[in-house]
Amino acid sequence: MRFRSLTLGLTVLLAVGLVLAAGEAAAQKRGGTLVMLVQPEPPTLASYISTSGPIGQVSSKVYEGLLEYDFNLKPTPGLAQSWKVSPDGKTITFTLQKGVTFHDGHPFTSADVKFSVLEVLKKAHPRGAATFRELTDIDTPDAQTAVFKLAAPAPYLMMALSGYESPMLPRHLFEGTDIKASKYANAPVGTGPFKFVEWQRGQFMRFDRNPDYWRKGRPYLDRIVARFVADSATRTAAIEKGEAQVGGFAAIPWSDVKTLARLPQIETTTRGYEMSSPIVQLDFNTRKAPFDNLKVRQAVSYAVSRQAVIENVWFGWGKPATGPISSNFAPVGFYTSQVRNYNVPNGVEAANKLLDEAGFKRGAGGLRFEIVHDQTPYGEEWQRYGEYVQQVLAEVGIKATLRYEDVPTWLKRLYTDYDFQLSSNWIQGLADPVIGVHRLYHSRQIRPGTVFVNETGWSSPRTDELMDQATIELDPRKRAALYQEFQKLVVEGAPLVWVHELQFVTVYSKQLKDLIVSPLGLYASFDRAYFDK
Amino acid sequence: MPVVFAILVLNFLLLHLAPGDAAQVLAGEAGSATPEYMAQLRQRFGLDRPLALQLVLYLKNMLALDLGFSFRHNLPVLALILGRLGPTLLLMGTTLVVSVVAGVALGLLAAARAGSWRDTLISILALVSYATPLFWVGLMLIVVFSLKLDWLPTSGMETVAAFYEGWPRVVDIARHLVLPALTLSLFYMALYVRLMRAAVLEQAGMDYVTTARAKGLSETRITLSHVLRNAVLPVVTLAGVQVGSLLGGSVVVESVFAWPGLGLLAFQSLFARDFNLLLGIFFLSACLVVVVNLMVDVLYTLLDPRIHA
Repeated sequence: MRFRSLTLGLTVLLAVGLVLAAGEAAAQKRGGTLVMLVQPEPPTLASYISTSGPIGQVSSKVYEGLLEYDFNLKPTPGLAQSWKVSPDGKTITFTLQKGVTFHDGHPFTSADVKFSVLEVLKKAHPRGAATFRELTDIDTPDAQTAVFKLAAPAPYLMMALSGYESPMLPRHLFEGTDIKASKYANAPVGTGPFKFVEWQRGQFMRFDRNPDYWRKGRPYLDRIVARFVADSATRTAAIEKGEAQVGGFAAIPWSDVKTLARLPQIETTTRGYEMSSPIVQLDFNTRKAPFDNLKVRQAVSYAVSRQAVIENVWFGWGKPATGPISSNFAPVGFYTSQVRNYNVPNGVEAANKLLDEAGFKRGAGGLRFEIVHDQTPYGEEWQRYGEYVQQVLAEVGIKATLRYEDVPTWLKRLYTDYDFQLSSNWIQGLADPVIGVHRLYHSRQIRPGTVFVNETGWSSPRTDELMDQATIELDPRKRAALYQEFQKLVVEGAPLVWVHELQFVTVYSKQLKDLIVSPLGLYASFDRAYFDK
Repeated sequence: MPVVFAILVLNFLLLHLAPGDAAQVLAGEAGSATPEYMAQLRQRFGLDRPLALQLVLYLKNMLALDLGFSFRHNLPVLALILGRLGPTLLLMGTTLVVSVVAGVALGLLAAARAGSWRDTLISILALVSYATPLFWVGLMLIVVFSLKLDWLPTSGMETVAAFYEGWPRVVDIARHLVLPALTLSLFYMALYVRLMRAAVLEQAGMDYVTTARAKGLSETRITLSHVLRNAVLPVVTLAGVQVGSLLGGSVVVESVFAWPGLGLLAFQSLFARDFNLLLGIFFLSACLVVVVNLMVDVLYTLLDPRIHA
């Protein structure tokens, strides 16, 4: 009797499961071509040697990673169906999905994992050397198991295994060739839901549905086409007319998003950027007067009105930032707002007081001193932002002359020559502070010639120590405590002004469903996206 | 030959005056990079060698007509340029033909009744289209013909979601060509209208016109078979000179209409410090200008047999 009821129960369960599965399949319609606007056109599709955003938006449809992530920033299965971290944190065992093949029919095995990580990512990826620093070897006891051997615990590593950050490559096509000059840089072969078909330079890239995708039944779309349109007004027109269905990051300028959002056929979202976490900043050169003076830096930080910048420059998209770690890390406990608060209503007053204390009295015409303010050369918003900073500095007696150069010139000025006083900037916090945040504050990250690291010259033994501990701390609670102290100290020291957490907006057609399904956003594979016409 | 050599050297040196290099841009786009990674890039691109050596190597390659390799795109420069040459020539050719034909016709019409309302109207049209910024004209055409009237596509060279083949593809490309060609043509046409009008008025006072009139030829006949021939010479001269600027001036139009031409490629490679590619494009456009001017010389002798090469 008991046995029978168990069987019955199982049968019912199975039936419900089947119905549910059928229901899912029925809700998601097959077919359709998704046209996405990608700006600017990527130079190559070699996401294993460049983390450039536009590359990631397209390569992630072809290459997959061991893991995917949910909105709580917790790993979920990707090419690895399960994983186990040893208690000492020095061994991570990945069990791979069964029946996965590359687009050329070759099976995907643990040998591909070993080759991709050790031979490509660790050696040639711009962030790979840092991400996989502690990784000494990968054991492959069988085709379905990859065992990562680490010299020291590396909790951040588990956050860096997405298809965008750490793509799994076909060993049989890359091995024995010059990785950096591989012809597959322009014709990728991966395991993902879409196969690369062609690239008409200056126009579009075409990816067709992979009928042998290992997630049976997926993807739902027949095809993805990435289009490249250099002019922002034309991109907006193309979305409005329905010639393209998706535009993310800054492809649609913030100024146009509101207009488009009013159209009945358009949907917008700010989700799907939780693993980028960009923060808009003002960077001081702390080596030189006047910004070698802590009070002067704090004064500028008080003077800037976060809300004014968000409202007037970014059309309302943004959230005041409190410090070096984005509030996107709140779910894992790393973020705290319990730091010195520069975002106060009477900021200009506080700034004036601090500048007086610092010994910079107002001279003729109320002027304290003059500086040159460099602007980050990534488009119009940044120029408006510079003009705002110039205006607010004038209120506290600092005359700022604006300088706007092209990207290579600006990069050299900031990161090689350190020939600047105050520059606007924006930096992504990425998936883990070790990867995205430490680079801006650690003394070891003062490295002339390397871009987007510590160019302010700020260094403190205590924060270095905190970062070093957080790098190897496995207990999330202890790690969170380390980061909370780190944030207090850095915010007090004010090597930069954290103005706001930049919110990108993805603009897309209402007919498109399940497009943004994880914090990877447009860097995800779109295997679940479908048209509901 | 010495001229070409001088151009090559000058281009090379001028470009290297710009601060920053391709490795820095690539690393900048990547968001972060280790110093080892940067050094690897520079070594691969040959940027770690002295400038003089880089120049010698470049000239040596050019002697063999080897345009080099774009490390940024991981493709040979020649392949990149050839891919863009078709669309560029299509847009340039259409623009040249439309603007010259329309310019000559309107100039002729205006001059035929100088001072009439028709003349005034044509002159105003020419002035307005010359004075309006190209990008604005382009955007307004998109708003009117694409968004409001829904007659034509906003941008691109073909409908990317459709992947037409054969004849439907030709029609599709032609539909995409209309707006960018119109935008560029309006601008150049304006110049030709004014030039043509002035030339026709000048010719109208010549003795041979009086002679023809005395012979009893009709005004239409005089204009079409005598005046036109002489008056069109300055227009042809200017058109020949403008082929070069058409290549550069189309950056704006290529950008607004997402037309995959050489101008935009050159513009983008400058900001990426992709010098191999940029030098290749310069070389090609220099060649193009030379060829077109040769063609103009030939055209001269056809139009006016008194001119010998």
